Amino acid sequence: MIFVKTATPEEWKAIASAISTIVDEATFEASVEGISFRGMDPSHVALIDIFWPNSAFQQYECDSLIKFGVRIDEFAKLIKRSEKKDSIEITINQDSMLSIKIENGYKKEYKMRLIESSSSSTPLPKLSFNSKIVLSYSTFDKILSDIQVLSDYITIDTKSDNVHFLGRGDSGDADIALDSKSEGLEELICKEDSLATYSIDYLLKITKAISTVGGSVIAEYSSKMPLRLEFTVAGVGRIHFYLAPRIQD
Amino acid sequence: MGINLKPIINASPVRLSDLSDKILAIDAYNTIYQFLATIRGPTGESLSNNNGEITSHLSGLFYRNMNFLSENIKMVYIFDGIPHQLKSKEIERRKKLKQEATQKYEIAIAEGRLQDARKYSQGTVILTDKIIEQSKRLLEILGIPIIQAPSEGEATASLLTKNGIVFACGSQDYDSLLFGAKRLIRNLTISGRRKIPNKNKFVIVEPEIISQSLLLEVTKLSLEQLIDVGILIGTDFNPGGFEGIGPKTALKLIREYGKLENIDKIKDSLKNISYQEIREIFLYPIDIQVKNLEFNKPDYDRIINFLCDEMDFSKERVEISIEKLKQVQEKRSESLEKWFG
Repeated sequence: MIFVKTATPEEWKAIASAISTIVDEATFEASVEGISFRGMDPSHVALIDIFWPNSAFQQYECDSLIKFGVRIDEFAKLIKRSEKKDSIEITINQDSMLSIKIENGYKKEYKMRLIESSSSSTPLPKLSFNSKIVLSYSTFDKILSDIQVLSDYITIDTKSDNVHFLGRGDSGDADIALDSKSEGLEELICKEDSLATYSIDYLLKITKAISTVGGSVIAEYSSKMPLRLEFTVAGVGRIHFYLAPRIQD
Repeated sequence: MGINLKPIINASPVRLSDLSDKILAIDAYNTIYQFLATIRGPTGESLSNNNGEITSHLSGLFYRNMNFLSENIKMVYIFDGIPHQLKSKEIERRKKLKQEATQKYEIAIAEGRLQDARKYSQGTVILTDKIIEQSKRLLEILGIPIIQAPSEGEATASLLTKNGIVFACGSQDYDSLLFGAKRLIRNLTISGRRKIPNKNKFVIVEPEIISQSLLLEVTKLSLEQLIDVGILIGTDFNPGGFEGIGPKTALKLIREYGKLENIDKIKDSLKNISYQEIREIFLYPIDIQVKNLEFNKPDYDRIINFLCDEMDFSKERVEISIEKLKQVQEKRSESLEKWFG
Protein backbone atom coordinates (compact mmCIF):
# COMPACT_ATOMS: atom_id res chain seq x y z
CA MET A 1 0.00 0.00 0.00
CA ILE A 2 1.14 3.54 -0.79
CA PHE A 3 -0.12 6.82 0.59
CA VAL A 4 1.54 10.06 -0.51
CA LYS A 5 0.50 13.66 -0.06
CA THR A 6 1.75 16.86 -1.67
CA ALA A 7 0.68 20.38 -0.75
CA THR A 8 0.13 21.36 -4.39
CA PRO A 9 -0.58 19.51 -7.64
CA GLU A 10 2.27 21.22 -9.53
CA GLU A 11 4.86 18.49 -9.03
CA TRP A 12 2.54 15.74 -10.28
CA LYS A 13 1.48 17.91 -13.20
CA ALA A 14 5.08 18.51 -14.25
CA ILE A 15 6.01 14.86 -13.90
CA ALA A 16 2.95 13.57 -15.74
CA SER A 17 3.31 15.96 -18.65
CA ALA A 18 7.06 15.32 -18.88
CA ILE A 19 6.51 11.56 -19.05
CA SER A 20 3.68 11.93 -21.55
CA THR A 21 6.11 13.44 -24.05
CA ILE A 22 7.83 10.06 -24.45
CA VAL A 23 5.42 7.24 -23.54
CA ASP A 24 1.70 6.43 -23.34
CA GLU A 25 2.01 4.04 -20.44
CA ALA A 26 4.24 4.69 -17.46
CA THR A 27 5.45 2.36 -14.74
CA PHE A 28 6.37 4.07 -11.47
CA GLU A 29 8.26 2.45 -8.68
CA ALA A 30 7.54 3.39 -5.09
CA SER A 31 9.91 2.36 -2.32
CA VAL A 32 10.67 3.38 1.25
CA GLU A 33 12.97 6.10 -0.14
CA GLY A 34 10.61 7.68 -2.65
CA ILE A 35 8.96 7.43 -6.06
CA SER A 36 10.94 6.90 -9.23
CA PHE A 37 10.27 6.60 -12.92
CA ARG A 38 12.53 5.64 -15.77
CA GLY A 39 11.45 5.14 -19.35
CA MET A 40 12.37 5.63 -22.98
CA ASP A 41 10.39 6.67 -26.02
CA PRO A 42 9.66 3.84 -28.51
CA SER A 43 12.50 4.81 -30.82
CA HIS A 44 14.96 4.93 -27.91
CA VAL A 45 16.08 8.46 -28.65
CA ALA A 46 14.94 10.02 -25.38
CA LEU A 47 14.98 8.80 -21.80
CA ILE A 48 13.48 10.29 -18.67
CA ASP A 49 14.83 9.44 -15.23
CA ILE A 50 12.97 10.81 -12.22
CA PHE A 51 13.62 10.38 -8.54
CA TRP A 52 11.28 12.02 -6.09
CA PRO A 53 12.49 11.52 -2.50
CA ASN A 54 10.10 10.85 0.39
CA SER A 55 11.34 14.01 2.12
CA ALA A 56 9.78 16.13 -0.64
CA PHE A 57 6.28 14.96 0.26
CA GLN A 58 4.09 16.37 2.97
CA GLN A 59 3.28 12.81 3.95
CA TYR A 60 4.84 9.65 2.57
CA GLU A 61 3.94 6.11 3.48
CA CYS A 62 5.24 3.12 1.58
CA ASP A 63 6.60 0.09 3.36
CA SER A 64 7.75 -2.07 0.46
CA LEU A 65 8.76 -1.88 -3.18
CA ILE A 66 5.67 -1.41 -5.34
CA LYS A 67 5.47 -0.98 -9.10
CA PHE A 68 2.39 0.60 -10.57
CA GLY A 69 1.45 1.32 -14.17
CA VAL A 70 -0.81 4.10 -15.41
CA ARG A 71 -1.96 5.41 -18.73
CA ILE A 72 -0.17 8.69 -18.38
CA ASP A 73 -2.65 10.84 -20.33
CA GLU A 74 -5.54 9.67 -18.19
CA PHE A 75 -3.54 10.27 -15.04
CA ALA A 76 -2.55 13.75 -16.22
CA LYS A 77 -6.15 14.56 -17.09
CA LEU A 78 -7.30 13.79 -13.56
CA ILE A 79 -4.43 15.63 -11.88
CA LYS A 80 -5.19 18.67 -14.02
CA ARG A 81 -8.68 18.85 -12.47
CA SER A 82 -6.98 20.51 -9.51
CA GLU A 83 -6.04 24.09 -8.84
CA LYS A 84 -2.75 25.56 -7.72
CA LYS A 85 -3.50 25.49 -4.00
CA ASP A 86 -5.18 22.09 -3.84
CA SER A 87 -3.48 19.37 -1.89
CA ILE A 88 -3.15 15.98 -3.60
CA GLU A 89 -3.32 12.58 -1.93
CA ILE A 90 -2.54 9.47 -3.90
CA THR A 91 -3.34 6.04 -2.52
CA ILE A 92 -2.91 2.57 -3.95
CA ASN A 93 -4.36 -0.40 -2.11
CA GLN A 94 -4.43 -4.03 -3.13
CA ASP A 95 -7.38 -3.55 -5.49
CA SER A 96 -5.30 -2.39 -8.50
CA MET A 97 -6.97 1.01 -8.37
CA LEU A 98 -5.22 4.31 -7.85
CA SER A 99 -7.09 6.92 -5.87
CA ILE A 100 -6.48 10.64 -6.29
CA LYS A 101 -7.94 12.90 -3.61
CA ILE A 102 -7.95 16.58 -4.40
CA GLU A 103 -8.78 18.85 -1.49
CA ASN A 104 -9.33 22.54 -1.20
CA GLY A 105 -12.51 23.56 0.56
CA TYR A 106 -14.23 20.31 -0.32
CA LYS A 107 -13.08 16.79 -1.20
CA LYS A 108 -12.92 15.33 -4.67
CA GLU A 109 -11.87 11.75 -5.24
CA TYR A 110 -11.01 10.00 -8.49
CA LYS A 111 -10.27 6.34 -8.84
CA MET A 112 -8.47 5.10 -11.90
CA ARG A 113 -7.61 1.61 -12.98
CA LEU A 114 -3.95 0.68 -12.92
CA ILE A 115 -2.49 -1.11 -15.92
CA GLU A 116 0.00 -3.93 -16.02
CA SER A 117 3.38 -2.53 -15.08
CA SER A 118 6.28 -3.22 -17.38
CA SER A 119 8.71 -5.77 -16.03
CA SER A 120 11.74 -4.63 -17.98
CA SER A 121 13.94 -2.02 -16.40
CA THR A 122 15.61 0.69 -18.42
CA PRO A 123 19.35 1.16 -17.88
CA LEU A 124 20.99 4.57 -17.85
CA PRO A 125 23.47 5.51 -20.57
CA LYS A 126 27.07 5.59 -19.36
CA LEU A 127 28.33 9.06 -20.12
CA SER A 128 31.00 11.50 -19.17
CA PHE A 129 30.40 15.16 -19.95
CA ASN A 130 32.95 17.63 -21.26
CA SER A 131 30.64 20.63 -21.25
CA LYS A 132 28.14 21.96 -18.78
CA ILE A 133 25.84 24.89 -19.44
CA VAL A 134 23.44 26.25 -16.85
CA LEU A 135 20.69 28.46 -18.23
CA SER A 136 17.66 30.07 -16.71
CA TYR A 137 14.57 28.18 -17.74
CA SER A 138 13.15 31.09 -19.71
CA THR A 139 16.42 31.64 -21.63
CA PHE A 140 16.60 27.96 -22.57
CA ASP A 141 12.98 27.96 -23.68
CA LYS A 142 13.53 31.11 -25.77
CA ILE A 143 16.65 29.74 -27.46
CA LEU A 144 14.80 26.59 -28.51
CA SER A 145 11.88 28.55 -29.91
CA ASP A 146 14.23 30.97 -31.68
CA ILE A 147 16.01 28.12 -33.44
CA GLN A 148 12.86 26.15 -34.13
CA VAL A 149 11.36 28.79 -36.43
CA LEU A 150 13.73 27.65 -39.15
CA SER A 151 15.37 24.41 -38.07
CA ASP A 152 14.35 20.89 -36.98
CA TYR A 153 17.51 20.42 -34.99
CA ILE A 154 19.84 22.38 -32.78
CA THR A 155 23.61 22.26 -32.74
CA ILE A 156 25.33 23.16 -29.49
CA ASP A 157 28.90 24.40 -29.89
CA THR A 158 30.65 25.00 -26.58
CA LYS A 159 34.10 26.53 -26.13
CA SER A 160 35.79 27.62 -22.91
CA ASP A 161 34.36 31.14 -22.95
CA ASN A 162 31.23 30.99 -25.06
CA VAL A 163 28.45 28.78 -26.35
CA HIS A 164 26.66 28.95 -29.69
CA PHE A 165 23.26 27.46 -30.41
CA LEU A 166 22.91 26.89 -34.14
CA GLY A 167 20.14 25.87 -36.46
CA ARG A 168 19.85 25.33 -40.18
CA GLY A 169 16.81 24.93 -42.36
CA ASP A 170 15.68 25.30 -45.96
CA SER A 171 15.16 29.01 -45.49
CA GLY A 172 18.40 29.85 -43.73
CA ASP A 173 20.60 29.66 -40.63
CA ALA A 174 20.28 30.72 -36.99
CA ASP A 175 23.10 31.50 -34.57
CA ILE A 176 22.54 32.41 -30.93
CA ALA A 177 25.68 33.27 -28.98
CA LEU A 178 26.07 33.53 -25.20
CA ASP A 179 29.11 34.22 -23.06
CA SER A 180 29.73 34.73 -19.37
CA LYS A 181 28.37 38.28 -19.57
CA SER A 182 25.13 37.23 -21.26
CA GLU A 183 21.91 37.38 -19.39
CA GLY A 184 20.44 33.98 -18.66
CA LEU A 185 23.71 32.03 -18.80
CA GLU A 186 24.31 31.13 -15.16
CA GLU A 187 27.31 28.86 -15.57
CA LEU A 188 29.59 27.57 -18.30
CA ILE A 189 32.16 24.85 -17.79
CA CYS A 190 34.04 23.48 -20.79
CA LYS A 191 36.72 20.86 -20.23
CA GLU A 192 37.00 20.24 -23.96
CA ASP A 193 35.38 21.95 -26.96
CA SER A 194 32.09 20.16 -27.60
CA LEU A 195 29.90 20.05 -30.67
CA ALA A 196 26.76 17.97 -31.11
CA THR A 197 23.35 18.17 -32.76
CA TYR A 198 19.97 17.16 -31.33
CA SER A 199 16.34 17.01 -32.43
CA ILE A 200 14.66 20.23 -31.38
CA ASP A 201 11.25 18.63 -31.25
CA TYR A 202 12.10 16.45 -28.24
CA LEU A 203 13.74 19.36 -26.43
CA LEU A 204 10.86 21.74 -26.94
CA LYS A 205 8.28 19.19 -25.83
CA ILE A 206 10.03 18.35 -22.59
CA THR A 207 10.82 21.98 -21.85
CA LYS A 208 7.21 23.05 -22.38
CA ALA A 209 6.02 20.13 -20.27
CA ILE A 210 8.00 21.25 -17.25
CA SER A 211 7.34 24.94 -17.74
CA THR A 212 5.07 25.47 -14.76
CA VAL A 213 7.76 24.80 -12.21
CA GLY A 214 10.92 25.63 -14.12
CA GLY A 215 13.87 27.14 -12.28
CA SER A 216 17.07 26.61 -14.18
CA VAL A 217 18.13 23.99 -16.68
CA ILE A 218 21.48 22.23 -16.58
CA ALA A 219 22.62 20.91 -19.96
CA GLU A 220 25.60 18.56 -20.11
CA TYR A 221 27.10 16.82 -23.12
CA SER A 222 30.22 15.96 -25.11
CA SER A 223 30.90 15.98 -28.85
CA LYS A 224 28.59 13.59 -30.74
CA MET A 225 27.32 12.20 -27.45
CA PRO A 226 23.92 12.25 -25.79
CA LEU A 227 22.73 15.37 -24.00
CA ARG A 228 21.51 15.30 -20.42
CA LEU A 229 19.17 17.97 -19.17
CA GLU A 230 18.50 18.40 -15.52
CA PHE A 231 15.40 20.30 -14.58
CA THR A 232 15.32 21.72 -11.11
CA VAL A 233 11.76 21.46 -9.97
CA ALA A 234 10.90 22.70 -6.51
CA GLY A 235 9.69 19.76 -4.48
CA VAL A 236 10.98 17.07 -6.83
CA GLY A 237 14.44 15.64 -6.39
CA ARG A 238 15.66 14.89 -9.85
CA ILE A 239 14.32 15.05 -13.37
CA HIS A 240 16.89 13.98 -15.92
CA PHE A 241 16.17 13.98 -19.62
CA TYR A 242 18.62 12.17 -21.92
CA LEU A 243 18.59 12.74 -25.66
CA ALA A 244 20.64 10.86 -28.27
CA PRO A 245 22.47 13.01 -30.82
CA ARG A 246 21.39 13.28 -34.39
CA ILE A 247 23.15 10.86 -36.74
CA GLN A 248 26.10 12.60 -38.34
CA ASP A 249 26.87 12.07 -42.00
CA MET B 1 -0.49 -22.47 -47.40
CA GLY B 2 0.84 -22.57 -43.88
CA ILE B 3 -0.90 -23.70 -40.79
CA ASN B 4 -4.10 -22.07 -39.60
CA LEU B 5 -3.50 -21.11 -35.98
CA LYS B 6 -5.50 -17.92 -36.20
CA PRO B 7 -8.52 -19.07 -34.14
CA ILE B 8 -6.37 -19.91 -31.13
CA ILE B 9 -4.01 -16.95 -31.21
CA ASN B 10 -4.15 -13.56 -29.59
CA ALA B 11 -2.15 -11.02 -31.52
CA SER B 12 -1.47 -7.52 -30.28
CA PRO B 13 -1.29 -4.55 -32.60
CA VAL B 14 2.18 -3.11 -33.07
CA ARG B 15 3.19 0.24 -34.52
CA LEU B 16 6.00 0.44 -37.03
CA SER B 17 7.61 3.09 -34.82
CA ASP B 18 7.82 0.51 -32.03
CA LEU B 19 9.96 -1.62 -34.33
CA SER B 20 12.46 1.16 -34.88
CA ASP B 21 16.05 -0.02 -34.66
CA LYS B 22 14.96 -3.66 -34.40
CA ILE B 23 16.00 -6.40 -36.82
CA LEU B 24 13.26 -8.46 -38.48
CA ALA B 25 13.77 -11.69 -40.40
CA ILE B 26 11.37 -11.48 -43.33
CA ASP B 27 10.08 -14.60 -45.02
CA ALA B 28 11.11 -13.62 -48.56
CA TYR B 29 9.02 -16.10 -50.57
CA ASN B 30 5.93 -15.40 -48.52
CA THR B 31 6.36 -11.66 -48.93
CA ILE B 32 7.14 -11.70 -52.64
CA TYR B 33 4.20 -14.02 -53.13
CA GLN B 34 1.91 -11.56 -51.34
CA PHE B 35 3.08 -8.73 -53.57
CA LEU B 36 2.56 -10.74 -56.74
CA ALA B 37 -0.91 -11.78 -55.60
CA THR B 38 -2.14 -8.39 -54.45
CA ILE B 39 -0.41 -5.75 -56.56
CA ARG B 40 -2.60 -6.04 -59.63
CA GLY B 41 -4.72 -3.98 -61.91
CA PRO B 42 -8.53 -3.97 -61.96
CA THR B 43 -8.83 -7.16 -64.05
CA GLY B 44 -6.11 -8.99 -62.22
CA GLU B 45 -3.27 -8.22 -64.58
CA SER B 46 0.17 -7.93 -62.96
CA LEU B 47 2.12 -4.71 -63.22
CA SER B 48 4.60 -5.02 -66.05
CA ASN B 49 7.21 -3.02 -67.91
CA ASN B 50 7.22 -2.15 -71.59
CA ASN B 51 8.60 -5.59 -72.45
CA GLY B 52 5.77 -7.34 -70.64
CA GLU B 53 7.95 -8.45 -67.72
CA ILE B 54 6.12 -8.67 -64.39
CA THR B 55 7.07 -5.92 -61.94
CA SER B 56 4.50 -6.30 -59.13
CA HIS B 57 7.09 -7.86 -56.82
CA LEU B 58 9.58 -5.05 -57.43
CA SER B 59 6.98 -2.40 -56.80
CA GLY B 60 5.97 -4.04 -53.51
CA LEU B 61 9.51 -4.64 -52.37
CA PHE B 62 10.63 -1.14 -53.22
CA TYR B 63 7.83 0.94 -51.72
CA ARG B 64 7.35 -1.22 -48.63
CA ASN B 65 11.02 -1.41 -47.81
CA MET B 66 11.49 2.31 -48.32
CA ASN B 67 8.70 2.72 -45.81
CA PHE B 68 10.38 0.38 -43.30
CA LEU B 69 13.75 2.05 -43.84
CA SER B 70 12.22 5.41 -43.05
CA GLU B 71 10.95 3.92 -39.79
CA ASN B 72 14.50 2.76 -39.15
CA ILE B 73 13.46 -0.90 -39.16
CA LYS B 74 16.29 -3.23 -40.10
CA MET B 75 15.34 -6.20 -42.24
CA VAL B 76 17.02 -9.34 -43.39
CA TYR B 77 15.22 -11.35 -46.08
CA ILE B 78 15.34 -15.12 -45.72
CA PHE B 79 15.00 -17.12 -48.96
CA ASP B 80 13.80 -20.72 -48.97
CA GLY B 81 16.28 -23.47 -49.79
CA ILE B 82 15.52 -27.05 -50.72
CA PRO B 83 12.12 -28.13 -49.40
CA HIS B 84 11.91 -31.13 -47.11
CA GLN B 85 10.79 -34.25 -48.95
CA LEU B 86 7.69 -34.46 -46.76
CA LYS B 87 6.55 -31.20 -48.33
CA SER B 88 6.23 -32.68 -51.81
CA LYS B 89 2.53 -33.46 -51.34
CA GLU B 90 1.83 -29.87 -50.37
CA ILE B 91 3.89 -28.60 -53.31
CA GLU B 92 1.89 -30.83 -55.67
CA ARG B 93 -1.34 -29.61 -54.14
CA ARG B 94 -0.36 -25.99 -54.65
CA LYS B 95 0.64 -26.65 -58.23
CA LYS B 96 -2.77 -28.15 -58.91
CA LEU B 97 -4.55 -25.22 -57.28
CA LYS B 98 -2.57 -22.85 -59.46
CA GLN B 99 -3.47 -24.73 -62.62
CA GLU B 100 -7.12 -24.62 -61.67
CA ALA B 101 -6.96 -20.93 -60.85
CA THR B 102 -5.22 -20.20 -64.14
CA GLN B 103 -7.96 -22.02 -66.07
CA LYS B 104 -10.71 -20.21 -64.17
CA TYR B 105 -8.91 -16.92 -64.73
CA GLU B 106 -8.68 -17.45 -68.47
CA ILE B 107 -12.34 -18.43 -68.72
CA ALA B 108 -13.39 -15.41 -66.68
CA ILE B 109 -11.35 -13.10 -68.92
CA ALA B 110 -12.80 -14.71 -72.05
CA GLU B 111 -16.32 -14.28 -70.70
CA GLY B 112 -15.66 -10.73 -69.62
CA ARG B 113 -16.27 -11.39 -65.89
CA LEU B 114 -13.60 -8.96 -64.76
CA GLN B 115 -14.21 -9.05 -61.00
CA ASP B 116 -13.96 -12.82 -61.02
CA ALA B 117 -10.86 -12.58 -63.15
CA ARG B 118 -9.19 -10.39 -60.56
CA LYS B 119 -10.12 -12.84 -57.81
CA TYR B 120 -8.79 -15.91 -59.65
CA SER B 121 -5.67 -14.10 -60.78
CA GLN B 122 -4.43 -14.02 -57.18
CA GLY B 123 -4.23 -17.80 -57.16
CA THR B 124 -2.13 -18.00 -60.30
CA VAL B 125 1.08 -16.61 -58.87
CA ILE B 126 4.22 -18.52 -59.74
CA LEU B 127 7.57 -17.54 -58.29
CA THR B 128 9.95 -17.93 -61.20
CA ASP B 129 13.72 -17.92 -60.88
CA LYS B 130 13.74 -14.60 -62.66
CA ILE B 131 11.39 -13.06 -60.09
CA ILE B 132 13.57 -14.33 -57.27
CA GLU B 133 16.76 -13.06 -58.91
CA GLN B 134 15.26 -9.64 -59.54
CA SER B 135 14.00 -9.46 -55.97
CA LYS B 136 17.44 -10.28 -54.60
CA ARG B 137 19.02 -7.71 -56.85
CA LEU B 138 16.64 -4.99 -55.65
CA LEU B 139 17.15 -5.89 -51.99
CA GLU B 140 20.90 -5.72 -52.48
CA ILE B 141 20.82 -2.21 -53.92
CA LEU B 142 18.46 -1.17 -51.14
CA GLY B 143 21.25 -2.22 -48.75
CA ILE B 144 19.12 -5.00 -47.23
CA PRO B 145 20.94 -8.24 -46.35
CA ILE B 146 19.78 -11.62 -47.62
CA ILE B 147 20.17 -15.07 -46.09
CA GLN B 148 19.81 -18.24 -48.12
CA ALA B 149 18.17 -20.82 -45.88
CA PRO B 150 19.28 -24.45 -46.17
CA SER B 151 15.63 -25.54 -46.25
CA GLU B 152 12.48 -23.77 -45.01
CA GLY B 153 13.00 -20.00 -44.76
CA GLU B 154 10.72 -19.82 -41.74
CA ALA B 155 12.83 -22.39 -39.92
CA THR B 156 15.93 -20.28 -40.36
CA ALA B 157 14.10 -17.07 -39.49
CA SER B 158 12.82 -18.68 -36.28
CA LEU B 159 16.29 -19.85 -35.39
CA LEU B 160 17.54 -16.28 -35.67
CA THR B 161 14.94 -15.12 -33.14
CA LYS B 162 16.04 -17.91 -30.80
CA ASN B 163 19.70 -16.89 -31.13
CA GLY B 164 18.75 -13.31 -30.43
CA ILE B 165 20.18 -12.16 -33.77
CA VAL B 166 16.83 -10.79 -34.85
CA PHE B 167 13.87 -9.49 -32.86
CA ALA B 168 11.04 -11.19 -34.75
CA CYS B 169 10.02 -13.12 -37.85
CA GLY B 170 7.93 -11.32 -40.43
CA SER B 171 5.47 -13.48 -42.36
CA GLN B 172 1.76 -13.93 -43.01
CA ASP B 173 2.00 -17.62 -42.14
CA TYR B 174 2.00 -18.92 -38.59
CA ASP B 175 4.44 -21.75 -39.27
CA SER B 176 7.37 -19.95 -37.67
CA LEU B 177 5.63 -20.31 -34.30
CA LEU B 178 5.91 -24.08 -34.68
CA PHE B 179 9.55 -23.63 -35.59
CA GLY B 180 9.96 -21.99 -32.18
CA ALA B 181 10.08 -18.32 -33.19
CA LYS B 182 10.14 -16.02 -30.16
CA ARG B 183 8.02 -13.44 -31.95
CA LEU B 184 6.06 -13.30 -35.18
CA ILE B 185 4.88 -10.11 -36.84
CA ARG B 186 2.07 -10.34 -39.37
CA ASN B 187 0.58 -7.83 -41.80
CA LEU B 188 3.89 -6.02 -42.20
CA THR B 189 3.69 -6.04 -45.95
CA ILE B 190 -0.04 -5.81 -46.43
CA SER B 191 -0.99 -3.18 -43.88
CA GLY B 192 -3.21 -0.38 -44.98
CA ARG B 193 -6.70 -0.33 -46.40
CA ARG B 194 -7.62 -3.74 -47.83
CA LYS B 195 -10.65 -4.92 -49.69
CA ILE B 196 -12.46 -7.91 -48.24
CA PRO B 197 -12.61 -10.58 -50.98
CA ASN B 198 -15.98 -10.84 -52.71
CA LYS B 199 -17.41 -7.94 -50.77
CA ASN B 200 -17.49 -4.29 -51.44
CA LYS B 201 -16.08 -3.55 -48.01
CA PHE B 202 -12.74 -2.39 -46.77
CA VAL B 203 -10.87 -3.05 -43.56
CA ILE B 204 -7.80 -1.42 -42.12
CA VAL B 205 -5.12 -4.03 -41.69
CA GLU B 206 -2.46 -3.20 -39.14
CA PRO B 207 0.73 -4.98 -38.19
CA GLU B 208 0.31 -7.35 -35.25
CA ILE B 209 2.76 -9.17 -33.05
CA ILE B 210 2.47 -12.64 -31.53
CA SER B 211 4.85 -13.52 -28.76
CA GLN B 212 5.72 -17.15 -28.21
CA SER B 213 5.87 -16.88 -24.44
CA LEU B 214 2.44 -15.27 -24.26
CA LEU B 215 0.97 -17.76 -26.73
CA LEU B 216 2.24 -20.73 -24.76
CA GLU B 217 1.11 -19.17 -21.50
CA VAL B 218 -2.40 -18.44 -22.72
CA THR B 219 -2.91 -21.79 -24.43
CA LYS B 220 -1.16 -23.60 -21.56
CA LEU B 221 0.88 -25.60 -24.06
CA SER B 222 4.54 -26.49 -24.37
CA LEU B 223 6.21 -25.92 -27.74
CA GLU B 224 6.10 -29.69 -28.35
CA GLN B 225 2.36 -29.63 -27.70
CA LEU B 226 1.85 -26.62 -29.96
CA ILE B 227 3.55 -28.60 -32.72
CA ASP B 228 1.17 -31.51 -32.05
CA VAL B 229 -1.76 -29.10 -32.31
CA GLY B 230 -0.28 -28.00 -35.64
CA ILE B 231 0.00 -31.55 -36.90
CA LEU B 232 -3.66 -32.15 -36.01
CA ILE B 233 -4.77 -29.05 -37.92
CA GLY B 234 -2.43 -29.79 -40.80
CA THR B 235 1.03 -28.43 -41.65
CA ASP B 236 2.88 -28.16 -44.95
CA PHE B 237 4.22 -31.63 -44.16
CA ASN B 238 0.79 -33.23 -43.64
CA PRO B 239 -1.59 -30.95 -45.56
CA GLY B 240 -5.19 -31.12 -44.44
CA GLY B 241 -4.32 -32.59 -41.08
CA PHE B 242 -6.92 -34.89 -39.58
CA GLU B 243 -10.44 -35.04 -40.83
CA GLY B 244 -12.93 -33.13 -38.77
CA ILE B 245 -10.31 -31.52 -36.55
CA GLY B 246 -10.02 -27.75 -36.74
CA PRO B 247 -7.86 -25.43 -34.68
CA LYS B 248 -10.16 -25.30 -31.64
CA THR B 249 -10.73 -29.04 -31.46
CA ALA B 250 -7.03 -29.66 -31.94
CA LEU B 251 -6.20 -27.37 -29.03
CA LYS B 252 -8.80 -29.07 -26.85
CA LEU B 253 -7.54 -32.56 -27.70
CA ILE B 254 -3.90 -31.78 -26.94
CA ARG B 255 -4.81 -30.01 -23.72
CA GLU B 256 -6.83 -33.02 -22.68
CA TYR B 257 -4.54 -35.82 -23.83
CA GLY B 258 -1.11 -34.18 -23.78
CA LYS B 259 0.14 -35.55 -27.10
CA LEU B 260 -0.88 -37.13 -30.38
CA GLU B 261 -0.16 -40.71 -29.29
CA ASN B 262 -2.67 -40.48 -26.43
CA ILE B 263 -5.65 -39.48 -28.56
CA ASP B 264 -7.70 -42.62 -29.08
CA LYS B 265 -9.91 -41.47 -31.92
CA ILE B 266 -7.00 -40.68 -34.26
CA LYS B 267 -5.04 -43.83 -33.49
CA ASP B 268 -5.57 -45.37 -36.92
CA SER B 269 -5.02 -42.30 -39.05
CA LEU B 270 -1.93 -41.37 -37.03
CA LYS B 271 -0.21 -44.49 -38.31
CA ASN B 272 -0.27 -43.08 -41.85
CA ILE B 273 1.53 -39.90 -40.91
CA SER B 274 5.25 -39.48 -40.25
CA TYR B 275 4.43 -37.40 -37.21
CA GLN B 276 7.71 -38.12 -35.45
CA GLU B 277 9.61 -36.82 -38.42
CA ILE B 278 7.36 -33.73 -38.66
CA ARG B 279 7.96 -32.98 -34.99
CA GLU B 280 11.68 -33.14 -35.62
CA ILE B 281 11.48 -30.79 -38.61
CA PHE B 282 9.90 -28.18 -36.34
CA LEU B 283 11.94 -28.84 -33.22
CA TYR B 284 15.38 -29.16 -34.79
CA PRO B 285 15.69 -26.83 -37.79
CA ILE B 286 18.99 -27.07 -39.68
CA ASP B 287 21.41 -24.70 -37.98
CA ILE B 288 23.32 -22.17 -40.02
CA GLN B 289 26.14 -19.81 -39.14
CA VAL B 290 25.10 -16.23 -39.62
CA LYS B 291 27.97 -13.85 -39.83
CA ASN B 292 27.44 -10.23 -38.94
CA LEU B 293 24.47 -8.85 -40.82
CA GLU B 294 25.48 -5.90 -42.94
CA PHE B 295 22.93 -3.14 -43.31
CA ASN B 296 24.07 -0.76 -46.02
CA LYS B 297 22.82 2.54 -47.30
CA PRO B 298 20.57 2.27 -50.35
CA ASP B 299 22.41 2.86 -53.61
CA TYR B 300 20.11 5.48 -55.07
CA ASP B 301 21.74 5.62 -58.52
CA ARG B 302 21.42 1.89 -59.00
CA ILE B 303 17.81 1.99 -57.79
CA ILE B 304 16.99 4.53 -60.51
CA ASN B 305 18.90 2.49 -63.11
CA PHE B 306 17.17 -0.74 -62.26
CA LEU B 307 13.63 0.40 -61.55
CA CYS B 308 13.26 3.34 -63.91
CA ASP B 309 15.60 2.55 -66.82
CA GLU B 310 15.19 -1.24 -66.92
CA MET B 311 11.76 -1.81 -65.42
CA ASP B 312 10.01 1.38 -66.61
CA PHE B 313 8.91 2.61 -63.17
CA SER B 314 7.83 6.24 -63.05
CA LYS B 315 11.00 8.15 -62.35
CA GLU B 316 9.08 10.89 -60.61
CA ARG B 317 7.47 8.53 -58.07
CA VAL B 318 10.69 6.69 -57.36
CA GLU B 319 12.55 9.95 -56.83
CA ILE B 320 9.88 11.29 -54.49
CA SER B 321 10.18 8.13 -52.44
CA ILE B 322 13.98 8.39 -52.32
CA GLU B 323 13.81 12.06 -51.38
CA LYS B 324 11.42 11.27 -48.52
CA LEU B 325 13.73 8.63 -47.11
CA LYS B 326 16.73 10.94 -47.39
CA GLN B 327 14.90 13.63 -45.47
CA VAL B 328 13.83 11.29 -42.69
CA GLN B 329 17.32 9.84 -42.38
CA GLU B 330 18.84 13.27 -42.18
CA LYS B 331 16.65 14.08 -39.20
CA ARG B 332 17.16 10.80 -37.44
CA SER B 333 18.79 10.59 -34.07
CA GLU B 334 20.95 7.77 -32.83
CA SER B 335 19.60 5.25 -30.32
CA LEU B 336 20.55 5.71 -26.67
CA GLU B 337 21.15 1.97 -26.54
CA LYS B 338 24.55 2.64 -28.06
CA TRP B 339 25.60 4.09 -24.70
CA PHE B 340 24.10 1.49 -22.39
CA GLY B 341 27.39 -0.43 -22.53
